Amino acid sequence: MNEPDRDRSCLERVRAGDTRALEELYDRHGDLLYSLVMRILRSAADAEEVVQEAWLQAWRKAGSFDPARGTVAAWLITIARNRAIDRLRSEGSRERAQALAGAEPAAPVADASGEVGQRTLAEHMASALATLERQHREVLELAYFGGLSQTEIATRLGAPLGTVKSWTRQALARLRELVPQGEWS
Amino acid sequence: MSAHRDEHLDLCAGLVLGHLAEDERLALEAHLAEGCRACEVELARLGADAVRMAHAAPHLSAPAALRSRVLEAVRAEARGARQVERGSTGAPARPTRAPARAARWIPTLAWAAAAVLAVVGIVQWRAATDLRRRLAAAEEARDRFARQLADEQRWATLALAPQARVIELKPTPSGAPALAARVTYDPATRRAILEVANFTPPADKDYQLWAITKSGPKSLGLLRADRGGRAVIRLPEVGDPATLDAFAVSLEERGGAPTPNAPAGPVVMVGKVAL
Repeated sequence: MNEPDRDRSCLERVRAGDTRALEELYDRHGDLLYSLVMRILRSAADAEEVVQEAWLQAWRKAGSFDPARGTVAAWLITIARNRAIDRLRSEGSRERAQALAGAEPAAPVADASGEVGQRTLAEHMASALATLERQHREVLELAYFGGLSQTEIATRLGAPLGTVKSWTRQALARLRELVPQGEWS
Repeated sequence: MSAHRDEHLDLCAGLVLGHLAEDERLALEAHLAEGCRACEVELARLGADAVRMAHAAPHLSAPAALRSRVLEAVRAEARGARQVERGSTGAPARPTRAPARAARWIPTLAWAAAAVLAVVGIVQWRAATDLRRRLAAAEEARDRFARQLADEQRWATLALAPQARVIELKPTPSGAPALAARVTYDPATRRAILEVANFTPPADKDYQLWAITKSGPKSLGLLRADRGGRAVIRLPEVGDPATLDAFAVSLEERGGAPTPNAPAGPVVMVGKVAL
């Protein structure tokens, strides 16, 4: 059984109330979610709180997972990112995030003890992002990690709103060219 | 139906990153609800791209203490849900009997107050857990209905699409004259709805629907009608409009023709697709 299938069967068990199944999911995706939330919030205390909320939400809402809309990993990532962005917006820490989101490289230092597959993918992504044209990279980082709206990004980058809209899609498409589908999973 | 424009594709990128303005989000969702294939495909692709952005975060190992806290919180919630289901009365604090001696009054009162508070706490906690569980179930049902509704809306718009074609199938000399079938087909989305009447097959037989294409017949599945011989069947993908010539129905042994690219029994109805 491959990882997406294993995840799906785990989530079925989570839905039935099996806490061991959630533990398995945590062991497979815990580091990724933590890394993501840390990148967004840049505070270990905030990140730990948000990560805990995200896992509790996954536990409570396992029934809302729809396999037609993507993998379990994608679903977990979406939950964690949404919660982290909500926290960013609610705490008025937005200005700090705005200041940091465009900065590079990211403040947390990559941890060499991480799982090899995961680290390689992260490295691959980081170098792909670095290859992007500056405006494409900035739009993606401000939107994905900074939770900024298109209007806010346009103001920040001093670019017309319409241009920011097309940059967003171009940037995602360019990233897909640089790291093709097969190498992601 | 709002016509598809390239700007819709840009809005799709904004939607997957969750950073569209509210009016744009609503406009795009309305456009999607009408069933735009180009946008659906792009949205799925961009959605996967956006999720992969998560991997661009520098890899960190989550603290071990966090793992314990998360799992303990989940277990506590699981225990709570089970207790509510069993209607457990296992309260950790029990009211104690008041000792006879007056000197013991004050601590006894304190204990009693603590016990009352504990009982109140447990009752409230149980009610809250029960509410949370019911809320989660209600939210899940709402999400399910929303998905069903969006799906129904997509199908409902098919018949209204200006490019939709209605094809009446006519019985062939091998078919009973009472057979009636109509296909509403949208070449843009390749979806079709088939409505049939008087489709009660002889014993041990099944009706089977076919798309007749330039490269030969292709099975679209069996037609199982209700007791009155009626059915409405949704066909999510009937094939490329450029190569589709006709729809046909054959009468097959139970279970259908042995191969999906040639009817084995007589063809009982045919309707040509005029585009």
